[in-house]
Amino acid sequence: MQNEVDLTPDAAVRAVMKDILGLSQEQVDEFTSETELFGALPELDSMAVAGLLTELEDRLDIMIDDDEVDGELFDTFGNLVAFAEMKVAE
Amino acid sequence: MNSSIEFSSYPIGEFHELCLLAGKPSRPKILIVPPLFDEMNRMRRMLIDVMRSLANWEISTCLMDLPGTNESMLPRDQASLSLWQESVQSCADHMETNHIASFRGGILAVDLLPAADHWQFSPIKGRTLLRTMMRTRIASDKESGVITKVSELEELAKTKPVELAGNQINPTLFSELQSAHPPELQNQRVARLLTDSKPCDIGLEGSALWLRAEPDSDISLSKAIAKDLADWIGQ
Repeated sequence: MQNEVDLTPDAAVRAVMKDILGLSQEQVDEFTSETELFGALPELDSMAVAGLLTELEDRLDIMIDDDEVDGELFDTFGNLVAFAEMKVAE
Repeated sequence: MNSSIEFSSYPIGEFHELCLLAGKPSRPKILIVPPLFDEMNRMRRMLIDVMRSLANWEISTCLMDLPGTNESMLPRDQASLSLWQESVQSCADHMETNHIASFRGGILAVDLLPAADHWQFSPIKGRTLLRTMMRTRIASDKESGVITKVSELEELAKTKPVELAGNQINPTLFSELQSAHPPELQNQRVARLLTDSKPCDIGLEGSALWLRAEPDSDISLSKAIAKDLADWIGQ
């Protein structure tokens, strides 16, 4: 087995968004903290959000309590990264 | 070069389930166990592309349907993990293959073949699959103005089938998935995506198609998987 490598919260969120939306690396690299998500991206429906949360838990080895998840979290890419960073630091 | 794909079947108990054969159909070299639930639909195209690539290298494969999924006549609410495990064993026996390539939740169904050679793509715990499906159910309930909690669903699932993201999960399957872990097998090779930080034998470049809103293909990932499978069986 190869060694585990650490994935930063920013990189993990970017990778998961890339996979959900089917974007290229260049496209997802252009995401900034102001990039709008929910509402701006039709692919990001409730089912995709469910997959996204579980995938972030899996990749970052965190647990997300669903009570912590509200609409604002998915307003922007920056909100989501900040949330992931907070969970990793816990 | 033979990249044609045809339907076949394998016996499980009194029933037959469908499977797809690619390459030299009489005796497939590798049995492919698909992901579970929605992930199967989202990754099927990718798996078929893997089968076509391998057929071009004269490596034949069989992609099985698990009872109660895809084209199966078994009612979906009667499926269980133990039945899926039996069906993988039965299909491997029928096809006389000792090489099992399982994907995502499908890895949870290979327990009964500890002596076979296993290739596994992105292993996942049963609990993780349930978690995503429960979150989807909770989100869709919320959109209809109903507040549902994970603990309520877990309680309900102890006694009757629950509907989770379009799947009827009976109490047996629910409890089996809650405790199901990818088995640690003697002869196993684990592949993951490069963006996955967990330990593996090989990291492959590609997309997590199981997250995609619609089923999609990823030709370069399919080719990378096919190449690693070919190396794995020594061909």
